[in-house]
Amino acid sequence: MSQGAPIIVAAGLTMQFGAQRALDALDVQVPSGVTGLVGANGAGKTTFMSIVLGLRVATSGDVEVLGLDPAARGPELRALVGYGPERNVFPDEMPASDFVRHLAEVRGMPRTEARGRASDALWLVGLGEERFRPLGTMSTGQRQRVKLAQALAADPALVLLDEPTDGLDPVQRDEMLVLIRQISTDYGIDVLLSSHLLEEVERVCDHVVVLDAGRLVAQGRLDVLVGHEDGVVVELVEVPDRSGALAAVVAAIELAGLSVRPGSAPSRIEVLGDDADLVADTVRDAIAAAGARVGRIVRRRRRLDDLFEGAPR
Amino acid sequence: MSDARILDRGYRRFEGERSGLVGAVRSVAWHTVRSILGLGRKGRHKVFPIIVLVVSFVPAVVFLALSVLIGDLLEGELRPEYWEFFGFAFVATVVFTALVAPEAIVRDRRDGMFALYLSTPLSRVSYLVAKVVAVLATMALVVLGPPVLWLLGYTVQSQGPGGLLEWFGVAGRILLAGLVICTVYTAVSLGVASLTDRRAFASIAVVFVMLGASIATNVLVEVAGLADGWRVLDPLGVALEVAPRMFGDRGAEAAGVGTWLVALGCLGWTAFGVALLAGRYRKLAAV
Repeated sequence: MSQGAPIIVAAGLTMQFGAQRALDALDVQVPSGVTGLVGANGAGKTTFMSIVLGLRVATSGDVEVLGLDPAARGPELRALVGYGPERNVFPDEMPASDFVRHLAEVRGMPRTEARGRASDALWLVGLGEERFRPLGTMSTGQRQRVKLAQALAADPALVLLDEPTDGLDPVQRDEMLVLIRQISTDYGIDVLLSSHLLEEVERVCDHVVVLDAGRLVAQGRLDVLVGHEDGVVVELVEVPDRSGALAAVVAAIELAGLSVRPGSAPSRIEVLGDDADLVADTVRDAIAAAGARVGRIVRRRRRLDDLFEGAPR
Repeated sequence: MSDARILDRGYRRFEGERSGLVGAVRSVAWHTVRSILGLGRKGRHKVFPIIVLVVSFVPAVVFLALSVLIGDLLEGELRPEYWEFFGFAFVATVVFTALVAPEAIVRDRRDGMFALYLSTPLSRVSYLVAKVVAVLATMALVVLGPPVLWLLGYTVQSQGPGGLLEWFGVAGRILLAGLVICTVYTAVSLGVASLTDRRAFASIAVVFVMLGASIATNVLVEVAGLADGWRVLDPLGVALEVAPRMFGDRGAEAAGVGTWLVALGCLGWTAFGVALLAGRYRKLAAV
């Protein structure tokens, strides 16, 4: 993972559509590497990407991408940026190689260079043997790869990918995530990955920018924002003659001075505490005293989903 | 047989100079011309453009053949003026117009290419410039091709304009007239075609507007007795009238229309098409 000056810097970025505020005073810094732009539909991801590409001008605030102002130097900037759209519609009759070559030319590659790079890009995404097939005959997975190839062919400094795993089965999704990771680690191209699938962002990204209803919820290194937290998650096995076991365990733990909150399932609780030994001993004693049967005890782990919980609505 | 295979082509950085906005416009324009003419596509996409091109060139080829065969007999009334060849290709031009504009812009909106183009150095304006260049260029094949062929053919037979200066004068007037006709037809057809996302509907709409306005105007002037000046509402006729005016002549139908009104008509129809096109594309979402 490379480190250096941020590739995208936004300060007070606000986008207003009539009465609706799509982006609300965002202060964002996207560093080199793979960055996930995360949020539900309507969070402002697409609006943010369109401003980054210079296709929309923010109502207020400043943004700089690769050191350029997208509003003032959009064409120059977009020659350096590859974009893989969410939309999965293509010119059906066009062979993949022609499609990738044409877009490489439009992004500024000389004709002969574009032809060679289109072929190389299609080999890189695993479509070398299929490169002369018309796009209309390709599967969804292959089309997603073609979108990635056209984004790469003109040697961009930054690639923006909008929901690149949309419509893929689990195997294809894994392969696509490996490719995206490879773009950054092997070829040194920075990636901004827009997705509503938190799990895939956690798998592939170095950094994350989390948006919710146009507001910035969190940003930073993924390993800082998510990961292990203090405390444990306890899952009990329900036994018919011990129906009150869970309540007894909770009472015993709280009596010992630790906080308990419900887990993601009825038989699951989260025990909070910064002293790992004390937490472990207290949980063990409470379970033993209640005669409960333990399913599993694991360390608490903060996930991207947790970042949304405290977000203002 | 060798079992060697290339497993990893690697990834190369590009250190050369990028062609920028001009290169992007050139690439899209050339790609559009190829698409319209069916080049690099299956045979069925080539049939229609070839038929139209052949039909448009038939009068010029026939007259050239006659001039070779019967020579000086093709003189006086029988010998067509240079500007008359714009009118000979009238039907082919209308049919071609209905094909070209929808092929140039409707397909891009349907298959997502328009949005993808806007993620490149192209903007809405430069994208439309590329499309206009492409449509103008292909339209020029049908509109300008026959009179230019006639001029060249006559010149080769030593029957063309006398002297270099006169030759360039005639060639310049042919090119200018053709450019005006192509501009009006391009603007109107692109403007009308921008209103629908279906190519068939777009083609029908182009024919309906161009031919419909032409027929309606002729009926209003010749049957309802409106003044000749109303002929500027005929987009086909008013643009074609530019050709005889370039050569100090007047077409039979619009003889009573002032030259300044013909120019105003051409400007008006061009502005109409551009306004439709700009209005439609301003609203289209990019990313």
